[in-house]
Amino acid sequence: MSTTTATPEMAQAVAPVKNYLKQTTTIRSWIFTLDHKRIGVMYLIVSLLAFFVGGMLAEVIRTQLLTPSGLIFHGGGAAYRQYNQVFTLHGIIMVFMVLVPMTPAALGNFMLPLLLGAKDVAFPRLNLFSFYLYVAGAVLAILSTVLGAVDTGWTFYAPYSIDSGSYVVLMVAGIFLLGFSSIFTGLNFIVTIHKLRPRGMTWFRMPLFLWATYATAIIQVAATPVVGVTLLLLIVERVMGIGIFNSALGGDPVLFQHFFWFYSHPAVYIMILPAMGIVTEIITTFSHKTIFGYKFIAMSSLAIALIGFLVWGHHLFVNGQSAELDAIFSFLTFLVAVPSAVKVFNWLATMYKGAIDLKTPMLYALSFIVLFTIGGFTGVVLGALSTDVVLHDTYFVVAHFHYVMFGGAIIAFLGGLHYWWPKMTGRMYSEPWAKFVCALLFVAFNLTFFPQLVVGAHGMPRRYATYLPEYQPYMVASTIGAYLQMIAFLTMAGYLLHSLFRGAKAPENPWGGTTLEWTTSSPPPTENFIGAPEVDVPYDYSLVEYDAAIGSYIRKEPMPAVEQTH
Amino acid sequence: MGFTMPLMNMLNVVHLNCSRLLAFYWLPRDGSTTAPDIHDMWNFFYVVAIFFTVLVVGLMLFFMFRYRMSAKRQKADPSATHNTALELTWSGIPLIIVMVMFVVGFKGYMNIDTPPGNSIDIKVLAQQWFWTFTYPNGAVSKTLYLPLNRPVRFEMTSNDVLHGFWIPALSVQRDVVPGRIITTWVDATRLGTFHLQCSEYCGDGHSRMISPVIVESYSKYLADIKAAANLWVGADGKALPLPKVGEKLYNLKGCSSCHTVNGAPGTGPTWRNLAGSQVKLNGGGTVTANYAYLKHAIMNPDHLNVQGYAKGVMPDNYVEQLGGKGKYERKINAIIAYMNTISKHSNSASMPPAGATAPATSAPAAAAPPAGGVPKVAAAHVAAGKKVAMTVGCTACHSVNGTPSVCPTWQNLAGSKVKLKDGKTVVADYDFLRTMILQPGKINVAGATMQMPNMSAALVGPQYHGDQRLNDLIWYINSLSKRSNKASQPPQSSLHSTGGGK
Repeated sequence: MSTTTATPEMAQAVAPVKNYLKQTTTIRSWIFTLDHKRIGVMYLIVSLLAFFVGGMLAEVIRTQLLTPSGLIFHGGGAAYRQYNQVFTLHGIIMVFMVLVPMTPAALGNFMLPLLLGAKDVAFPRLNLFSFYLYVAGAVLAILSTVLGAVDTGWTFYAPYSIDSGSYVVLMVAGIFLLGFSSIFTGLNFIVTIHKLRPRGMTWFRMPLFLWATYATAIIQVAATPVVGVTLLLLIVERVMGIGIFNSALGGDPVLFQHFFWFYSHPAVYIMILPAMGIVTEIITTFSHKTIFGYKFIAMSSLAIALIGFLVWGHHLFVNGQSAELDAIFSFLTFLVAVPSAVKVFNWLATMYKGAIDLKTPMLYALSFIVLFTIGGFTGVVLGALSTDVVLHDTYFVVAHFHYVMFGGAIIAFLGGLHYWWPKMTGRMYSEPWAKFVCALLFVAFNLTFFPQLVVGAHGMPRRYATYLPEYQPYMVASTIGAYLQMIAFLTMAGYLLHSLFRGAKAPENPWGGTTLEWTTSSPPPTENFIGAPEVDVPYDYSLVEYDAAIGSYIRKEPMPAVEQTH
Repeated sequence: MGFTMPLMNMLNVVHLNCSRLLAFYWLPRDGSTTAPDIHDMWNFFYVVAIFFTVLVVGLMLFFMFRYRMSAKRQKADPSATHNTALELTWSGIPLIIVMVMFVVGFKGYMNIDTPPGNSIDIKVLAQQWFWTFTYPNGAVSKTLYLPLNRPVRFEMTSNDVLHGFWIPALSVQRDVVPGRIITTWVDATRLGTFHLQCSEYCGDGHSRMISPVIVESYSKYLADIKAAANLWVGADGKALPLPKVGEKLYNLKGCSSCHTVNGAPGTGPTWRNLAGSQVKLNGGGTVTANYAYLKHAIMNPDHLNVQGYAKGVMPDNYVEQLGGKGKYERKINAIIAYMNTISKHSNSASMPPAGATAPATSAPAAAAPPAGGVPKVAAAHVAAGKKVAMTVGCTACHSVNGTPSVCPTWQNLAGSKVKLKDGKTVVADYDFLRTMILQPGKINVAGATMQMPNMSAALVGPQYHGDQRLNDLIWYINSLSKRSNKASQPPQSSLHSTGGGK
């Protein structure tokens, strides 16, 4: 325990231990580190950089769409191709370099062993390797962009991705590496959860974030190889001219769509399941009340992961697959809505009769509930066959998946980032600024994407560099929202950087959390815990109380002896 | 499924009042026979979604304020940690609701998916980046004409990549997949002009792949497709001048999606002031955009590309697209005639020859070469070879009167000595000429700046009778050379077959 945060008796008993940031400080100690926390931080930095680039590309897209004939790229084919390259890169970065790794690999890496009570993940070297695979994939993607940016859309639909003159092979090779990085991370997490649970940490004592991470890891390991093979086939087809997806060579473009979505739809759950896990942790902590229906929430994560494998065909309702297949995929799509709804109701029941502290992480979690509900219902409309016919490939779809991916996954990530920021950095951030940005982001988000729902229902197709003048008012509103979001994010970067250097020292347990990460110092030592962590039933808020003297929550009773069995 | 109908009716009544209250427009209701169903389905989902969103967000806001932490409220009230019956209930209710949604959505979809039997069939061809519609009477147009209150079935396919057939106002959408025939249908119930927008991303011109859709009375529809049926005749029934036909083709065959006529840059070079001008080529060199070059450029788009424009972009099947053998020449002439009307450089050499079939342009005719050592019996083959040279486009590059160009002149070529890149000299005999034409990569002539395309397909393809076209061409080349001799001429046996040019 560090001297600043431990209870007075403990401070006397244990010699001060350097935290993971101060243990060693050379650059070499970072780039060759096997510490899951440092790897998590490196993932965080790279994925936040990617998020910045992807976000700026989004601002370019929104600026282009201020006028029907395009404000930046106008006049003809070559100019529109540049626009197409911009939205393609925005999609590729946000999906493969931000959403997939951000929550599972960055926050997951840092928090999973801490929440579990383990020293590290099961395979620390594999963990570092998967980080460098991620970096290598990102470098290949950058290289392909510099040489000749890809203009296929992030979905790489054949046969356009085979015809396109851009550096598709290089980009696809980069994504192939990113995929392997994701597989290794998932593998590592599964083994860690199975094998490194400390004494007393039974499956049903695991914090729910771990259940979500576990469900996510199953998808990462089982679904990602399919996209790897698909992208390899695409390379084979481009390089060797073997007809797999290109009908001109006897291939089938619809086959590509099946393969692609067999990964990419479950990938949506790679993004949203850990987000739901974060929201669960935040809601119980800031309601200071035991989570309602632990088992339903845990099982709903697994249900989402498993049913999520079987719904990919709903991306192909108007793509020429048979009506029978359409019906089956529509049915399964509706089924997957049920466990999501269960989670929302359980969160509300957790708030019921709680003592709700509206701190920044909680505000993000509540934003998540609102935005995810809208995202979910727009998804249901798209999952219904007859309404999908008039909404498919319009801005309605664009808005829907931004509500889920951004309003869901990113907003929850931001909640998690604020929730665990004191633990990760040992510093507090400015609460008023953080609350202001959260509120601004909520308003700006809806201003950006709600008009897109409407203009999509009015028929505006996605991926348009120019559009019919009647859509302009909605596009302008959306762009204003996007600019406000930029202001919000830059402000956030400002107060978080300020907190890193000037923020108040974080106590051990600033929020009153009951999971294991709050029993170690902020930031934790390299070994995570001094001695074996004491595992109890999770979410027992009668065990902690606020100590105004040190500004932190503390355990009520002295820590029971390590040897005590449960 | 029976219980869904009363539920739907009830919800429709509720929604009708709601939407009047909200006065908020989402989906169109009156474009086609399927639109009301889709619209009602949407309303049903909309009401359910609003209800649950209000419930969830309402409860959330209520709890937020009711149970907010304060000095008085530091601890949660004791309450249950779980309640299986309650949780099963709130799992079961969404399950029932989504199952109702599924059934309702699926029933509506089966109606959309099944076209009525008595429909009019319109063929839809999608390609980068325009739509072409072919009507039962053979008429072809870029505007989609639809008769009011008649079911129309679309038989769709794509020439290149995926496209999306999407008419928002008529509530109809279907992806168009290359290599497959995809069908969908619509029965339009609203008069007016709407937009067909490509909804599946297809490259540079995706957002410009929009066609007008005109829903009109059946009689007007019949008149419009009758007028569209004849390329050579105007709406008034009179024969159109050649440039007007060319302009029609410019719009109809997709030229317009890449080539502008106002000088603006596009995916391809602009046609403004192109005909008759000096054109810089990729890899250096300049050619005059005369008739032969323009024709060659349409038929062999990957050869002699204009500087700054890559090969592989323009489709190379315009011969077929313009009607195939025996039909395409008149149409290419019409297009070139149109190009000439918008070029200030237009001159007699860039104009199509007078008369639809006459191959001789003024330039080669003026420089009629000596017959050299070509025997008189070969005259018919020389004439046929000249025709082949014009058709295939050789004379776009090779002059026949000694004028220097990017490629060697044919005047006095046959039988002469030719310097190679490696310093050796060879005689341009029959085998040399034949190899040069069929395997151009094999011989590297000194000073050549331009790679010659492989002409095999155009000369000795299976549809042509053996080597006859090739031999006729070489007879013609010989006729241009005073050095022509037995060794440079095709074998005597070629004289016994009938004249080529088929």
